[in-house]
Amino acid sequence: MVNLAPAAVGATDFFTAQRANQRATTILLATLTLLAGGLGYLAGWALEANHAAPASSYAPRTIWFFSKWGFWCAIAVAAVSLGWSWISMRFGDRMVLAMTGGNEVTKEQEPQLYNIVEELAIAAGRRPPRIYVIETDALNAFATGTSEQNATIGVTRGLLNTLNREELQGVIGHEMGHVANLDTRYMTIVGVTVGLIALIADLILRGTQFGIGGRRDRDSKGGGAAMILMLILFVVALLAPLAANLVRMAVSRQREYLADATSVRFTRNPAGLISALQKIDTGANSFSGVSKATEHLFIINPIHKMTERTSALMATHPDTAARIDRLRNLGIR
Amino acid sequence: MGLGGWILLGVIVAIVLWAISAYNRMVGSRNQVDNAWSQIDVQLKRRHDLIPNLVQVVKDAMGYEQDTLKAVIAARNTALTAKGPAEVSQAENALTVATGRLLALTEAYPDLKANTNVMALQEELTATENKISFARQFYNDSVMAFNNALQMFPNNLIARQFGFQPREHFAVPETEKEVPQVKLR
Repeated sequence: MVNLAPAAVGATDFFTAQRANQRATTILLATLTLLAGGLGYLAGWALEANHAAPASSYAPRTIWFFSKWGFWCAIAVAAVSLGWSWISMRFGDRMVLAMTGGNEVTKEQEPQLYNIVEELAIAAGRRPPRIYVIETDALNAFATGTSEQNATIGVTRGLLNTLNREELQGVIGHEMGHVANLDTRYMTIVGVTVGLIALIADLILRGTQFGIGGRRDRDSKGGGAAMILMLILFVVALLAPLAANLVRMAVSRQREYLADATSVRFTRNPAGLISALQKIDTGANSFSGVSKATEHLFIINPIHKMTERTSALMATHPDTAARIDRLRNLGIR
Repeated sequence: MGLGGWILLGVIVAIVLWAISAYNRMVGSRNQVDNAWSQIDVQLKRRHDLIPNLVQVVKDAMGYEQDTLKAVIAARNTALTAKGPAEVSQAENALTVATGRLLALTEAYPDLKANTNVMALQEELTATENKISFARQFYNDSVMAFNNALQMFPNNLIARQFGFQPREHFAVPETEKEVPQVKLR
């Protein structure tokens, strides 16, 4: 027996694996919201320390324990994070579809594609998603939508013309895997929170630079301690977005492997996806509808193909050869 | 009420809460099994409807293969009258083998391969065969999840009291695992 769900260790079936993913999303959302809130607190505290408090009456240490500005900043950041997440979940799919520029197709227009999507929806035990075709020769496919109701799978015309039925089934299986594993929801939340952390860190950086400059003019007591705290804040604000991005990319790569494995679990046929990945990898994957905002959605990154070791940490997708390698191992029974 | 009483009350409340959530999980899981079975049913009916169309289109061109066509029709008629999971799965599996052979044979006829009607029907039948096998796969996965929920400790202690019975898998017979033989002329 082969373990088809490496990310869900200990799961005996894929319903359990799906529940584990939902739990992971909740935990991640909570953790990242806390992190963003904490950063917000730091930002508010830095602001208060530098601008609101009279230099002589407040030592930075007293503010460190409870900063009113920090508290309200943390609340505001948490609210923004939740609101932004909600908006992205609600309207994200429409924005993505508008950006990639595809057209919805019916069964009459694309009977085979429609059938394959229906087949895999049955394999996944869910409603068939909407199907979009993007009129371009580039070879790529994507999935979007944060719930069963608004899930959409898109493929390019080039892909339809290049792949045979078996290969197309593997690709659609991968996209259906993203839908079934709720990856779009997961990555939306990760994306929003990473963006928010970058934003706050940027604010803190501006604040501290300004603050350090401002402090110098004042003849304050405990200026040295404040400087050290400011320096720590500066370093944290510098590293936080980088670390958050690394986590985001690592999660994205993991999700790609999981979707590949899910595709094989649906089709019970790794050969189709392997051959499809090889064909997609040798062709052109980019077209006018792709951007940094959507690159992680596609089956193969349309902007850069990551093969060099140095850039592997910041890649949205694992190296295609590594993916094929893992699929080959799944095929051995 | 002493400390012991409170502890006892807490334990009882915890057990009741656990039993409620375990019961609800088992009901949800059982409904999924029923739904998965009806999905198979939908696809089987679809295949029963498609087969006469396909036979109609290919029967003139395939003059030499009347036996294969007759076998498909006979298998379909048996499947139509089958009742109960065991009988249905046996009859449907026989039908899968028969239509698989017919589809493989059409490959040998250039006229049929080029015919758009046949191509469309072929695509529909291929898709329906895939849907049947995926629906069966999902049904079996659902059955496994349900049986696990029933038989694993500690759920097994209450499953029988609530009247839950393990379900049967949709079996794949040995004949279906054989690749249909194609004789090219």
